[in-house]
Amino acid sequence: MHGARHLTVGHLMMLLADSANLLPARLQMAFTLGFHIIFACIGMGLPILIVLAEWLSLRNGDPVWRTLAKRWSKGFAVLFAVGAVSGTVLSFELGLLWPEFMGKFGPVVGLPFTLEGFAFFTEGIFVGIYLYGWNRLAPFHHWLCGLPIALAGTMSAWFVVTTNSFMNCPQGFQLDADGKLLDVQPWTAMLNPATGAQTTHMIVAAYMVTGFLVASFYAWEILRGRNGLYQRRALTLGVLLGGFFALVQGPVGHWAGHVVAVTQPIKLAAMEGQWETETYAPLRIGGIPDPETKTTPYAIEIPGMLSVLAYDNPAAEVQGLNAFPEDLHPPTPIVHVAFQIMVGIGTLLIFIGLWSGYLLKWGKSAWHERRWWLLTLLASGPLTVLAMEAGWTVTEVGRQPWIVQGFLRTKDAVTQAPGVWFIFAVTMSIYLVLTVGCISVLRILAKQPMPEDADVA
Amino acid sequence: MSPELIVGIVLGAATTLYLLFGGADFGAGIWEINTAFQSNEKERKLLYHAIGPVWEANHIWLIFVLVVLFAAFPLAFQALCSAFIIPAFLVLVGIVFRGAGYVFRAYSIDSGRQQQFWRTLFAGASAAAPFFLGAIAGTLASGDSKINAAGVYEGNYLTDWITPMALFTAFFTVGLCCYLAAVFLTREAEHSGEVELTLVWRQRALATGIWMGVLAAVGLVFVSLEAPELAHGFATRAWPLVALSAICGTGSLLLLLWRKYTPAAACTMLAAANIIWGWGIAQYPVIAPPFLTLADSKAPDSVLWAMIGAVAAGAVILGPSLALLFYLFKLTPSDSADY
Repeated sequence: MHGARHLTVGHLMMLLADSANLLPARLQMAFTLGFHIIFACIGMGLPILIVLAEWLSLRNGDPVWRTLAKRWSKGFAVLFAVGAVSGTVLSFELGLLWPEFMGKFGPVVGLPFTLEGFAFFTEGIFVGIYLYGWNRLAPFHHWLCGLPIALAGTMSAWFVVTTNSFMNCPQGFQLDADGKLLDVQPWTAMLNPATGAQTTHMIVAAYMVTGFLVASFYAWEILRGRNGLYQRRALTLGVLLGGFFALVQGPVGHWAGHVVAVTQPIKLAAMEGQWETETYAPLRIGGIPDPETKTTPYAIEIPGMLSVLAYDNPAAEVQGLNAFPEDLHPPTPIVHVAFQIMVGIGTLLIFIGLWSGYLLKWGKSAWHERRWWLLTLLASGPLTVLAMEAGWTVTEVGRQPWIVQGFLRTKDAVTQAPGVWFIFAVTMSIYLVLTVGCISVLRILAKQPMPEDADVA
Repeated sequence: MSPELIVGIVLGAATTLYLLFGGADFGAGIWEINTAFQSNEKERKLLYHAIGPVWEANHIWLIFVLVVLFAAFPLAFQALCSAFIIPAFLVLVGIVFRGAGYVFRAYSIDSGRQQQFWRTLFAGASAAAPFFLGAIAGTLASGDSKINAAGVYEGNYLTDWITPMALFTAFFTVGLCCYLAAVFLTREAEHSGEVELTLVWRQRALATGIWMGVLAAVGLVFVSLEAPELAHGFATRAWPLVALSAICGTGSLLLLLWRKYTPAAACTMLAAANIIWGWGIAQYPVIAPPFLTLADSKAPDSVLWAMIGAVAAGAVILGPSLALLFYLFKLTPSDSADY
């Protein structure tokens, strides 16, 4: 434990020594990305729920479903706008904080960003049509205009994450002796070996985040005694989305882990706290890697399991951190602990999904008697967000010291302009206003009275 | 045609659309400062109704410009980011609070002071974003950006972006946004059958338009004094566009007087668009004045061609979607709030 803390402080000192701008720039990037990603996830998942609810209302003319779709779409308008502006911050920040990265690799990742621009555009257009078109379009046409929102949201996530997968697994270009780009193949760069697993992992996570956040919110409402048809249906839709994709995430996560093992063995070693290169490598549950002694104490070890998870073969050799020069090691304790959090919560969510499915299908008890289940669901939303953030910590911190694996170090990419701490402080206060505003406006929306025809008793 | 020129034209087109539509949305926000003093609910409703369905889409032109710029002209993007880190950050603050302020205001229904707070934030931010964007444009146009031919910034981050020309274009851009918004709102007020409001906005549009005419004339003098390179480009190459802009600007005022609001809106758009194209053609092939050209700062051709393909394919989806949006909310008359 002491060793780990010692490293973190030592690591910070190292960062400060490298470049005065590196720490504030990284903190700002981590904070703004971590903020945006929550809204981006809801921007992907919530349209699916809205479209589902509207479809159900069209099919059986049930006003409760329609009320649900309408009220959700207002909340979505607020969340989408916060997602859009925080995403704009990111597109500026890439240039303002990492000019060397954008100057050098901008052309290689430009194609997915351009395509993402179009996807986001389509999303923005149909959000406008959908939100303001309830009375202007025939009901079925209005429903149709919801589909591009859901589709385009997921497409933009796909394109953006390909850029990150490129940073993890760069290909599709050559560098000449001066480090200038030659022979860029943007499609090859976009469709790199990490793309499939990473994009799928993220999109599935986004649906989980939305589903469990929705379930969490309505579990709270029902626990407070607002146990109406409206709340029960909302919770059901949410938990079905979240639970289903929690099950899907199992094999997808395994796939993602395998791709990391092949393309970024050092990241895998850090994730697992694996110091020695060995066959029959054990899977560690818990434990805190100690860079001083190069061990991972306090872990429960399951022999051979890591070899199986990474290469589907217990005899497979897994490379340890010691196989790599020390200046290429990522901050191992952070990566390992974040990975444990993600996997731990992910496993828990699978069980929550199964439990919910059982209760909804075969449960005999009344909703207000399912107190433990509701309390669990209440926790599931924030936990899912935590797992998703931990996952991004794994992939980003696990790639350090590189910004583009093997080609550009983070410290060489950062801006030389002064005042980055100041900009970071201003950014933090702006995001504080955004957070407070978003929450208070969502509360006002939630308190709006239900229309007469929606049975909420 | 060389790929960098095609992408340059795409950039110019996207910038123009951002100025016309995103600019008008900013302008509507700036007018909100004015209407706040008069607290006329009906007037406010027209204003918010006009930008509600379209502002997200209009805002995305800026993201598109940024993305194309860094993907196609990375060296220019890098240089501009270094030179304009402060004003660009201020633009960003404006954009964030404009967007957030707008939705927070729209959905914080009947919450009194809270809604008032978001409204004020929305209005202030709507003025800040075009102001600092204009300042960046002014420093660039004057050739004082201190970006050398190799795309390296050699100035002072803190103060060098504040030039006389920057100050002038900052105000000019804010004024232009106000004028665009006033003309568009006159047209929309007439469209929704608000006779009284139409006259109010017509008067505002006329007043702003006359001021803009004066500012534009001063601007030409300013350019010839502060930006000799650009003035030379205007005089030798871009003069037809400058002339067209002047004619359309005057025409828009006359059409407002004659109460022909749709043609007036078209003329205003042409006048504004020709400023961008006049500027672009005057400084061609330079992208980041004074020295850095499109060809010097471009990405490899394989990237440019892939992007041109992506833009062409994207336009097939984007065109009809945008057409549907504007058809529904700008060409079909409406009477009541839709949300």
